[in-house]
Amino acid sequence: MAFTSDVVDGEITHDGLTIRTYDSAPHRRGEDTIVLLHGTSGSAQSTYWALFPMLADGRRVVAFDFVDTDGATADTYADQARAVIAALCDGPVHLTGCSFGAVIAAHLAGTTPEIVKSLTLIAGWIKTDIHQHLRYDVWFKLHEEKSAAMPGFMVMTAFSHAFLTMRLPGEVDALVAKIGDGSDRYAKMVFNRTVDITDAVANITAPTLVIGCTQDQMVPIYHSKLLFGAIENARFAEVPSGHAVAHERPSHLLMLIRDFIDEPERDAPGTVHAPIHA
Amino acid sequence: MNIQTTTPKQQVDAEVLIVGTGFSGLGLAVILEREGNRDYLMLERGQDVGGTWRDNHYPGAGCDVFSHLYSYSFRPNPNWSRTYSKQPEILKYLQDTAEDEGIYPKVRFGTTVTRAEWIEAEDLWQVETTTGTYRARALVSATGHLSDLAMPDIEGLDSFTGKMMHSSQWDHDYDYTGKRVGIIGTGASSIQIAPEIAPDVSHLTVFQRTAPYIVPRRDAPYSEAQKGMFARFPEMLQDFRKELFWGNESRFPQRLQIPAFLAQIEEMSRGHLEDQVADPALREKLTPPYSVGCKRILISNDYYPAIQRENVTLETTGIDRIDETGVVLTDGTHVALDMLILATGFEATELPIAEVIHGKTGRLSDQWQDGGQAYACTTVHGYPNFFMMLGPNTGLGAGSMIYMVETQIEYIRGALQYLFEGDKVIEPDREAQAAYVKSIHDRAERTVWIAGGCQSWYLHPRSGKLTAIWPDYMSQFRKENGTFATKGYMVRDATVPA
Ligand SMILES: Cc1cc2nc3c(=O)[nH]c(=O)nc-3n(C[C@H](O)[C@H](O)[C@H](O)COP(=O)(O)OP(=O)(O)OC[C@H]3O[C@@H](n4cnc5c(N)ncnc54)[C@H](O)[C@@H]3O)c2cc1C
Repeated sequence: MAFTSDVVDGEITHDGLTIRTYDSAPHRRGEDTIVLLHGTSGSAQSTYWALFPMLADGRRVVAFDFVDTDGATADTYADQARAVIAALCDGPVHLTGCSFGAVIAAHLAGTTPEIVKSLTLIAGWIKTDIHQHLRYDVWFKLHEEKSAAMPGFMVMTAFSHAFLTMRLPGEVDALVAKIGDGSDRYAKMVFNRTVDITDAVANITAPTLVIGCTQDQMVPIYHSKLLFGAIENARFAEVPSGHAVAHERPSHLLMLIRDFIDEPERDAPGTVHAPIHA
Repeated sequence: MNIQTTTPKQQVDAEVLIVGTGFSGLGLAVILEREGNRDYLMLERGQDVGGTWRDNHYPGAGCDVFSHLYSYSFRPNPNWSRTYSKQPEILKYLQDTAEDEGIYPKVRFGTTVTRAEWIEAEDLWQVETTTGTYRARALVSATGHLSDLAMPDIEGLDSFTGKMMHSSQWDHDYDYTGKRVGIIGTGASSIQIAPEIAPDVSHLTVFQRTAPYIVPRRDAPYSEAQKGMFARFPEMLQDFRKELFWGNESRFPQRLQIPAFLAQIEEMSRGHLEDQVADPALREKLTPPYSVGCKRILISNDYYPAIQRENVTLETTGIDRIDETGVVLTDGTHVALDMLILATGFEATELPIAEVIHGKTGRLSDQWQDGGQAYACTTVHGYPNFFMMLGPNTGLGAGSMIYMVETQIEYIRGALQYLFEGDKVIEPDREAQAAYVKSIHDRAERTVWIAGGCQSWYLHPRSGKLTAIWPDYMSQFRKENGTFATKGYMVRDATVPA
């Protein structure tokens, strides 16, 4: 499904790879643009089906699908993002990444600061730790065994207790049915085991918003707090959701991102956002 | 005693008069009462607090927003009995609020405001009521957006000799058991009433003009354990509230007609219809002919089953007129009835209170010929020191009105503090108001209410403008209208010190 009826799908070639791109408003190319880097699940659509069109209501948004290559590193993935930005955007961009995409965004911002106007890191991390390794071990085991337990395991670890218990049983079944067997994310899972962007993160200077998720079982909020600790020019906001925050609370992310991008330096570095009161 | 000879202190009955004691007026009073700095009085035409929930006690009456969200954040109630509480429990909550917070002594009940006029020479509002005149520096209208009922414009309505009642004026003395009953309208009230009375009546005819979208109602009682948890961990209740809030907030993109969001809600309502209604002809009749979200999306698990009862008919042939004994359809058929229920809603676009409010530029309803307009959705040029709660562009497609109410409470609280601490008179600048209203209407253009191609009570009948609904995220409403600031206002010192 198209993000919105106005979105223009395109392709660019980079290093012999064809990268699919999505541009909400090519005619507004000269304006500030939000560039979205998707998560482990494989496509811009699967991470940003909600957030892309929501952000595009008012701003120009560009996204693309990462292409997996053998032995991919943070830098080779970041190169794809740089190529898309060079091809579709004129000035520095508002770079937003979620999960795996946050890792790549942070790496990119630390290594090519000149193309980043602001940086939003949602449920990202700096270096894979032993807790994550345990989950990856289970995941790879289920994958090897082609286990029927895989979809349920992925749903259980991706969504928060609060979110799942608000659904009807049939709706949770539908989530499990839809998430697939995980093969679409195999290559990125291999990469995720090896993440260490410590050096790049130390060089991030762009105004940054770090968003961590209270009930994240895949990348516990500890990691977002570490990012906040590592990036001098960062603000921090917490969203009470699971790792699949882009599905659980797209409107909450929208408010945080819109507000931040409007004036990235409004809140002083080190600001921890007060919880939003309902 | 210090006798002032030059400028005698003008007699006012209170600094602030609040008209209406529903969720809006009562909530504002609680905050002013707790703050303890404002001298206020409340005028209420009814005999108790509660507004909507005092008046709407028809069979099955209840809220359509989770009770934990449809209540004040500053008065959380761990003991809500179920997901969607029924009217008696909501009314009790409001009565308890008024009692516990010491509001009752401040209310003049049985007092209908018949005229309110700004007296420029004295910088005060003079308010005429059925029980006398009140004067105050500031006036807050909290008279509700759904408090004055709308009657259908059908020929012969008054000639009906059976029992006729509007849903919001239910007469419990009338026993509908075994009667032939008709109900006009298929909106939020009607679909609560029909399943409730269907088992008892001899026959029920539901007169439908346009089928509504209906989605499942996720309704269950709270366990004692849940109530105890909410009582002992108040933050768990607030977290739950936020979960509910953001769930609703994430429905707004449906109103922007974003394909993925539309697909979800369309699938949900179609699935619900298919689960509950097997007959293709009936399904067809129950399938709405307009874009989803253009009118209110209803939630019910027992409406479709009720429609399929032996003793219930869904009548989609139009109504031609009403006579002494029933309803005459456009095809000439006569439906004989003992009782006729008008579940036809409320005056939402032309608020009756605007008829009686007179500012520097005349009657508010005259200013609002083309629909209500207000700065920050709360104040009006030409009407100094006047505040309106749930006035223009404050309604919601999906969400709790209490969020909007609390946003306005904080705005008005801040404005009153500014007024009284500095002895000021304020009114929004004409241009600032026009620019603000334009920004709302510009935003409305991209929503289903304008672009979706259906007539609804959200649109102003003469101008076609979206005046009843806030056409953006609720968080955006709070961001724009949640904190009073003097920007956009003409401010002057009060000529007579209060
Ligand atoms: C049946 C029904 C169900 C609803 N369910 C929901 C829901 O689930 N969720 C939701 O968010 N919203 C719901 N609403 C909308 C509801 O109207 C608001 O949520 C809220 O109750 C409005 O409160 P209020 O104080 O602004 O107005 P009201 O509750 O209408 O109170 C206004 C008060 O002002 C008084 N008044 C009016 N004119 C005068 C006058 N001239 N002089 C003196 N007093 C006057 C009235 O007597 C009344 O007491 C529902 C509405 C109805 C009718």
